[in-house]
Amino acid sequence: MRTVWTIFKKELRVYFVSPLAYVFLGVFLLIAGMFFYLGVALTGEASLRVMLGNLAIALIFVLPMLTMRHFAEEQKSGTFELLMTSPVSPVSLILGKWAASLFMCVLMLAGTLLFPAILAYYGDPDWGVIATSYLGLFLVCAAFCATGLFASSLTNDQVAAGMAGIVMLLPFWMVGSAGAVVGERAQAILDQVALLPHLRGFTKGVIDSADVLYFVAFAFVFLFLTYRTLESRRWR
Amino acid sequence: MIEVRNLTKRYGPFTAVQELDFRVDEGQILGFIGPNGAGKTTTMRILTGFLPATEGTAVVAGHDVFDEGMQVKRKVGYLPETPPLYRELTVGNYLRFVAELRGITGSEADRRIGEVMERVGLRGWERRITGSLSKGYRQRVGLAQALIRDPPVLILDEPTSGLDPAQVVGVRSLIEDLAGDHTVILSTHILREVEALCSHVVVIDQGRIAAKGRMEEVRQEAAPTHYRVEVRGGEGVAQAIGALDVVEQVDPGEVVVVRSGTDPRPAIARLVADKGWDLVSLERVVPSLEDAFLALVGREGGA
Repeated sequence: MRTVWTIFKKELRVYFVSPLAYVFLGVFLLIAGMFFYLGVALTGEASLRVMLGNLAIALIFVLPMLTMRHFAEEQKSGTFELLMTSPVSPVSLILGKWAASLFMCVLMLAGTLLFPAILAYYGDPDWGVIATSYLGLFLVCAAFCATGLFASSLTNDQVAAGMAGIVMLLPFWMVGSAGAVVGERAQAILDQVALLPHLRGFTKGVIDSADVLYFVAFAFVFLFLTYRTLESRRWR
Repeated sequence: MIEVRNLTKRYGPFTAVQELDFRVDEGQILGFIGPNGAGKTTTMRILTGFLPATEGTAVVAGHDVFDEGMQVKRKVGYLPETPPLYRELTVGNYLRFVAELRGITGSEADRRIGEVMERVGLRGWERRITGSLSKGYRQRVGLAQALIRDPPVLILDEPTSGLDPAQVVGVRSLIEDLAGDHTVILSTHILREVEALCSHVVVIDQGRIAAKGRMEEVRQEAAPTHYRVEVRGGEGVAQAIGALDVVEQVDPGEVVVVRSGTDPRPAIARLVADKGWDLVSLERVVPSLEDAFLALVGREGGA
């Protein structure tokens, strides 16, 4: 547990002493602002529904970029050797890095709280719905960061890791709209694995345990795969 | 302190090291030498628990590196071939991170960081970004990192590479200071360094041990002490010298090379004087570790 904290602090420090964190926060808020404006202008509702749905899609592209550095860079610069010859278990290493990238996500999401504040000034938004929407988005971040870490553990090339992360996440978005091709019955099954159907409840103010479980399982599977990859890299 | 038995590491069809057997007693400095690609780094990575071996066992500080990896990692300080630095961090932050990884926190960490920085000559460099340091200073930070917990066992992969001559001297005397209460394995290309520092050597070539033991023994065995005799104005010099009691072996030629357990020089001098030849030179040659190394590895110009 103590080493998780040590790794967590180190990762945050590395994020913030490089321009990376600031660029990320800036780009993410810019995208969010655009979706917010479009959503409110198009629907005329005092809601974040459009913004949050689109942000989930944007995160498919943004989060692998945030996490691509983690293991790829450690492998490339030789610091992976330092970590693996220190009394640190791969589990604390993964958890520390995952927590650090999630912390960055929380900062990004916190930045978007400006938008509900604007809504509250001009209209009367449903705070319950906004709260569950943010919970949904946080779960998306948790799942995607896990995927990004897994992609990063596969290679020592950051860019390849970023691309791999995006490629792994895209299908979860795309299978959600495959109905026209595969038929409605198949779509009902695909909806179980697709991303957006599990987010829909949150954007309506409903917390369904099945949806929560979906994201928790999503994150767990990829964290576990990361663990297996780190273990197996040592045997090669 | 370190005991390696039958250690083999294969990467698919490629065998990196094969059936290594050696031991290092407490307080010894072992020099680990061999040409590039001989398997030095692989062996060190196995000893530090970074890589698992394919076969064989290694016990470091009383713990098996495979079964009790965590205990071994607590007791070993390791400097990899390239110092494992986070380029974005300052020297101080980096060392604090490593200290915490190794379980030293708070004011204890401050004290240790101050001590090792002093020891490797980094005082006043806390705020420098490691990525902006020169190679020599990065190497120092790497050493500081390995020493931070004052581990009983140190494994140093080419600790002086990239240092300027003054720094090399500094690092050598640092390693000398460590001997006694630390057990050190150090790999290097620089044979003079091994001669200066190490009591024992392991010579490794193409993944196998070519020689091991006390420095003088290895040197003596691979390239024994011999005597060069140059004489003018005589016939059958080599035969005459070879006939002497003290001489064990003679290589004839312009310069006669004599091998012998005891010093044959007085006998040879008397012989030359009796025969009325002119003695041009008579010298004792103690081969360097370099000669021994070349004799063992046998590929001049190296792989």
